[in-house]
Amino acid sequence: MAIAVFFVAAAIALIGGIGVVSFHQPIRSVLSLVLVMLALSVIFLLLSAQFVFAVQIIVYAGAVMVLFLFVITLLGPARELGRGRLRYQGWLSALFVLVMLGLMWTLLQGVEYRQPDKTDMSFFGTVQSIAVGLFTTYLYPFELTSILLLVAAIGAVYLSRKRIDDL
Amino acid sequence: MGTLDIGGSQLDASWFLLLSAVLFSLGAIGVLVRRNPLVILISIELMLNAANLALVTFSRQLQNIEGQLFALMSMTVAAAEAVVGLAILVDIFRVRDAEDVDDLSQLKG
Repeated sequence: MAIAVFFVAAAIALIGGIGVVSFHQPIRSVLSLVLVMLALSVIFLLLSAQFVFAVQIIVYAGAVMVLFLFVITLLGPARELGRGRLRYQGWLSALFVLVMLGLMWTLLQGVEYRQPDKTDMSFFGTVQSIAVGLFTTYLYPFELTSILLLVAAIGAVYLSRKRIDDL
Repeated sequence: MGTLDIGGSQLDASWFLLLSAVLFSLGAIGVLVRRNPLVILISIELMLNAANLALVTFSRQLQNIEGQLFALMSMTVAAAEAVVGLAILVDIFRVRDAEDVDDLSQLKG
């Protein structure tokens, strides 16, 4: 059962990933990415990461993608027309990515898995177990992310403000 | 030790890692080939998601929660990156059309 769920979700994720790079209209790329994120959230659930699953749907597929859609509606439909200025760009990048994929495949063959920790799997990935890690051992990184989000919010407001000389 | 017991079924951790590698490569192709800056940002999001999948897979294999915590951190970074990137994009669009990143080659104030 889990195997079937994995392969269906993986196929949907791959189809969405191909859609992201091959559609010519940005809005279709964004919707393909939403498909990838939903498929990946199913896989997170298979890997018993319940909280990451919920965050993936709410924050990623919900908030971040809606932001992308808003920007597309703001800017209007833009299409890629004509050819780029770089010659052989497609072929060179395909070669580069194939080499990178081969490298990752080779590394994957040599992965030596460590003996898993003895964890109580009934609590693994729940909000409780995430919170214990996030508010004890990793409290400082957690607080630093709040500063990061504050800086990003201020930066976005600053960049998109109305300038005096525009008025 | 690479096999994961999920609801009685035996799944290999390397399947998840391979899916992650392929999705990352697709994102890399998007960044290299596409010329619309918006689509490049979308491809970066795809690569970040692929990295998250690898983190969560290793977290499950090691039965250690830290991988999931790191995936949450990377989601935060991805959200911040998307916000700032889109703000820059909107700011550029206000001045000129930016349908091609090749047109944005003058780094002047």
